[in-house]
Amino acid sequence: MGIADGLGEGFSVALDPTNILYVFIGVLIGTVIGVLPGLGPTATIALLLPLTYELEPVTSVILLAGIYYGSMYGGTITSVLLQLPGEAASVVTTFDGYQMAKQGRAGPALGIAAVGSFIGGTLAVVGLILLAPPLADLAVEFGAQEYVALTAFGILLVTYLGTKHPVKALCMAALGLFLATIGQDAITGTGRFTFDQVELFDGLDFVAVAMGLFGVGEILYNLEKTEKAEQIKSRIKNIWPTRKDFRDSSGAIARGSVLGFFLGVLPGGGGVISSLASYGMEKRRAKDPSRFGKGAIEGVAGPETANNASSTSAFVPLLTLGIPPNVVLALIYGALLINGVQVGPQLIDTNPEIFWGVIASMFIGNLMLLALNIPLVGVFVQLLRVRAGILAAFALLITMVGVFSVNNDVFDMWVVLVFGVLGWLMKKTGFEPGPLVLAFVLGAILETNFRRAMLTSDGQFDTFFTRPLSGTIFGLMALVIVYSTVMGIRRQRSGRPPALYADQLDAAAPHETVPGSESEGTAGVAATDGGNRDGPPPAGGGSTRAEP
Amino acid sequence: MRPIRRTAPALVAASVLVLAACGDDEGGSSGGGGEAADYPTDDINLYVPYAAGGPTDLAARTIASCMEEEFGQTVIVENREGASGSIGMQAMLAEDPDGYTLSIIAVPATATNPLQDEVGYTNEDYIPIAAVTEIPSVLAVGADSEFADAEAFFAEAEENPGSLNVGVPGTTTSQAMELQRMAEEYDTELTLVPFTGNAEMTTALLGGNVDAVFINSSQDVLTQIEAGDFVPLAVSTPEAVDYIDAPPLAEVGFPELTNSVSVFGLAAPAETPDDVVSTLEDTVSTCLGNPETVEQLGEQYVPDEFIGTDAFQDRIAEIVEVYGPIIEN
Repeated sequence: MGIADGLGEGFSVALDPTNILYVFIGVLIGTVIGVLPGLGPTATIALLLPLTYELEPVTSVILLAGIYYGSMYGGTITSVLLQLPGEAASVVTTFDGYQMAKQGRAGPALGIAAVGSFIGGTLAVVGLILLAPPLADLAVEFGAQEYVALTAFGILLVTYLGTKHPVKALCMAALGLFLATIGQDAITGTGRFTFDQVELFDGLDFVAVAMGLFGVGEILYNLEKTEKAEQIKSRIKNIWPTRKDFRDSSGAIARGSVLGFFLGVLPGGGGVISSLASYGMEKRRAKDPSRFGKGAIEGVAGPETANNASSTSAFVPLLTLGIPPNVVLALIYGALLINGVQVGPQLIDTNPEIFWGVIASMFIGNLMLLALNIPLVGVFVQLLRVRAGILAAFALLITMVGVFSVNNDVFDMWVVLVFGVLGWLMKKTGFEPGPLVLAFVLGAILETNFRRAMLTSDGQFDTFFTRPLSGTIFGLMALVIVYSTVMGIRRQRSGRPPALYADQLDAAAPHETVPGSESEGTAGVAATDGGNRDGPPPAGGGSTRAEP
Repeated sequence: MRPIRRTAPALVAASVLVLAACGDDEGGSSGGGGEAADYPTDDINLYVPYAAGGPTDLAARTIASCMEEEFGQTVIVENREGASGSIGMQAMLAEDPDGYTLSIIAVPATATNPLQDEVGYTNEDYIPIAAVTEIPSVLAVGADSEFADAEAFFAEAEENPGSLNVGVPGTTTSQAMELQRMAEEYDTELTLVPFTGNAEMTTALLGGNVDAVFINSSQDVLTQIEAGDFVPLAVSTPEAVDYIDAPPLAEVGFPELTNSVSVFGLAAPAETPDDVVSTLEDTVSTCLGNPETVEQLGEQYVPDEFIGTDAFQDRIAEIVEVYGPIIEN
């Protein structure tokens, strides 16, 4: 199917009244939860996952994708107005966006973010259209070895990128891999860790685990916080940026689109990394870097464009390889599996309505977001008045009803509660659930393919290195490990934090505290702990480790 | 355990009778003894122990809509997937054996599960009512395979044991067990590579990552064959079928390998009254004579000769006999 035919079919799916309604609901929910600190896209999608069981597969992806990129828009609003990132990827926007607001330029900051997000999102959809079908054709050739290489690479990157503590992330990834082994062995059919419980024969249900760790864990964690939503003091006027603003940001938007697109495709990439990378890039390119952190509009335009572009391009590996590159996409993968859709290289051929329908809905969704955001900023900000306790009670109710509805199984409700408590404890102790859940999903793919590779190669390990593609990927992995080890040692000598990007965060925000550099799904809650937002950095807050 | 299992449903049945005698107005309990002529007087629950959208689900929903018309009662189809179908089976057996709770079974899996693990039911706990569809397996290679027919393929397998990789839908499926028998009883050894489901196997064959697949010949596979992307070498039925152009395994040197045929049918708890079972059996038979139902099920998959309770029971007994020893190993 050519691109024109595909898009034609896609729009006929996306313009179906039901799907238009769901893309609208999706972007609206996305914007709302983007505004509300605490509930990020991951938690929301995890909570709503079971509800998609009743929907057509394409409609459920349209809805969940809308929430994802919608939250990228919504997160901007509170970042700019209150220096309170609604979700993790908007942390960077606080650096310059809030400064702009203090200078009375909140309107243009929000305006340029919306325009940039729109352009970034749209360009990324175009990239997705151009890149995905050839990649899927290539992916048909992928054998077990290539899947082993890709999933191992994914787990490696997830533990390095976007996490504050690689060692803790590695522990969580290991736990995720272990949990993935529960259930019937995919090759021999033997039960593992099932304790003769029929409920465990198929392993733990991914939906229940994700809902517990992200949804319930997040809710519990937030309940401990006493948040005071500040009233908006000044009215927002002149939302449309000036011609000069556009001139200043056009380069940043163009670069942010490209950068965001490619970082989104990478496993472990996605919102936070891409907005950080874009901010870093703009600052390096600027003639006068000292303007950054004091209200430079490029510092808002670039990152906001990039995080939106990455949230779209993250669909590339999922729709072509069946490998989710980050946690949000892992949840969308789960939604497709609940609906009985086999995700893999064949998806574009066997379910063109899903691939093209989702793409077309992204064009529509981005347009809706542009229309929603510019005039309605004031309305969304009022959402911050909703009390967290009320929200939490509703969310928990939806969770429990929802997870039961997937398999009609009370056992899954217990799984949610157990993992909810675990997720809460993990958050309190600085362990992130992201690597765990992604390793849990990728672990099953990794293991079966590893063993298939062993079966077909008569147990020869060199099969992983002699096949050109898997050999290349393993080579890349070796490079990443060597590079990060060397950098880690050098950093340790100079007494700086070992995590990738942590230094960039430091460099990026010399004047302000960095409230949180968590990966997708931890949703900027860290931003709410410090009570005094205008004052000096709260002690111990943020990603900067105490200097020795 | 066994005596308890057997008495518990009997107690339930007895209490149902008592309740019915007391004039309990619950519709579902009116089916005791001679009153079965009225059956059904209430909604029927039909469990599908597999995921929505699959071939079992299609069979269930199609037969359910025909039964609704025949009975004038609602048939509620509910997917209770998990543990290779055991969860759905348990769900059915947990209800009263009054004909108002039925389940789809997928033989051989339904019959082999309890041989393999403690899955909460045995083959004596349920009674098969009638087969709805029958899907044979097909051994197929890719379009650019060096093997043009079954002879060439098996000649290579005999010459270099284990050199050919064949994708199967899972280790405990009839396809895998049939190929295991091929190695044990006919000295023809293939390397089995288990996948989950047709989509994965299709990708693996198209990408040249396995030499062949031994796969359920459901509609998607027939489409691949029609398009010329899959070349069928042999089918698993005792006799040739008219919609796949390949000889039966039984005719290319493996006379005993005729059991890898998936039969999807209706089943009830073992204690269900006989007249209820025969009412259901007759209804399925009527439905399978209905051209619309047959078209929805896929004409090629509807058994040419109706498989009722007795024939279905025999089939299950045969599977237990043939696969039992393999599983116990």
